[in-house]
Amino acid sequence: MNKDKALISKLQNRDEAALSLLYDKYSAALYGVILRICKDEAKAQNLLQDTFMTIWEKAGDYDLNKGSFYTWAYRIARNKTLNFIRKNDKLIQVEDLSVYKDRTEDVNEAIDVLKLKGSISKLEMHHQRAIELVYFNGLTHREAREEMNVPLGTFKSYIKQAIKQLQKAYLTVAAFLLVLIEVLR
Amino acid sequence: MKMDKTYILDNNLITRYVIGDLDSNERIQVEEAFVTHPELKDELNRIESSLEALAIDNAIDAPAKVKDDLLSAIKSKSEVKTIALPKSNALRPYLNIAASLAILLTASTVYLFTQLNATKDQLEVVETENVELNNDIDALHNSLEEASKWYALVNNPNVAKYILKGNDLMPEAKVISYVNDTDKSVVINTAYLPKLDDDHDYQMWADVEGVMIDMGVINTETEMLAMTYIDHAESLNITIEPAGGNDHPTVSKLITNIYL
Repeated sequence: MNKDKALISKLQNRDEAALSLLYDKYSAALYGVILRICKDEAKAQNLLQDTFMTIWEKAGDYDLNKGSFYTWAYRIARNKTLNFIRKNDKLIQVEDLSVYKDRTEDVNEAIDVLKLKGSISKLEMHHQRAIELVYFNGLTHREAREEMNVPLGTFKSYIKQAIKQLQKAYLTVAAFLLVLIEVLR
Repeated sequence: MKMDKTYILDNNLITRYVIGDLDSNERIQVEEAFVTHPELKDELNRIESSLEALAIDNAIDAPAKVKDDLLSAIKSKSEVKTIALPKSNALRPYLNIAASLAILLTASTVYLFTQLNATKDQLEVVETENVELNNDIDALHNSLEEASKWYALVNNPNVAKYILKGNDLMPEAKVISYVNDTDKSVVINTAYLPKLDDDHDYQMWADVEGVMIDMGVINTETEMLAMTYIDHAESLNITIEPAGGNDHPTVSKLITNIYL
């Protein structure tokens, strides 16, 4: 975290090496999000580059007190990707998610790459799905609730539960690592 | 609508804040709540860490080309843009003045630089001279000290002075010996001793009851030389010996002797 702080302050002073390091650290995580939203590799690559261009140009806007650097970068990536899709996909309407479904079908062959891995795959299916829709597909709570066809209250509790369980899973991993380090010492 | 803590938590507003799924009004209110409720800020940190870990779990490497393109795009954007000066004749006189000033400035700088270098050279010469003078003073000081030492040594009522004159083998040789029986010291002056070739040295001997005892090899490089004092010496003798000295005197090469 402290290392990021120094890197970010260098970035804000227009240090290209800092941008390069931050790219190495976060690009794969962001690319995972962008590609899952737009489901087109060439476009996702352009959007990733565009995201980092904005990170470079707007670095001064990032405020440490309002959240982590990754969160800030994620929002830029998500917004850019959603705007791109909305602009290019004349058919898409906020209330109509059929286009989103069509898009999914186009990339059936890539589904293995996009399938969610790690701790989230251990969650209950509906929790997993709820997080996937809002975090990796860029849907709003309302869109995602409609997609899952559950009442808003239920959907909210899905998200809440999912986050809680993810937190627990990652804490367990962290604790396990700590124990491992302690044992190895 | 004023948001309280419960409302924020019940409606997943922090998660939606992290994801970017709030309108600007909601966002501002949540940000205000972080300031007034530090525990909400802690919750923000927890949600951010979980979602970041989730993203890292599901990261996909982009082709290296993306990074290369990004970095070259940034480089080309940051290149300095040159602005062409308007081709106005009105600027001409000012440019002429500026150019003249620049030439003057350059010339005076070159002149000053040359002067500076000359001064540096002079300073170096003076410094060298100074070092040489100091060395001379040191040398003089040392020889004065030595001379005073010898003077004190020979100008002493307990000192007997003997002049050893060369025999037929080397008539030009003369050695002055200062013998102090009280302090048990012998000092000789070798100034009048002819130089020998590299294979031979003078050696001094004391005769004690018919036995010649070594007093040391004479180093003719040194004018005043301290030799080994021998008790009850009856005579002083100098022979020519192979370089480095001999265990026993070569009597056939005795060049001078004196009875005390």
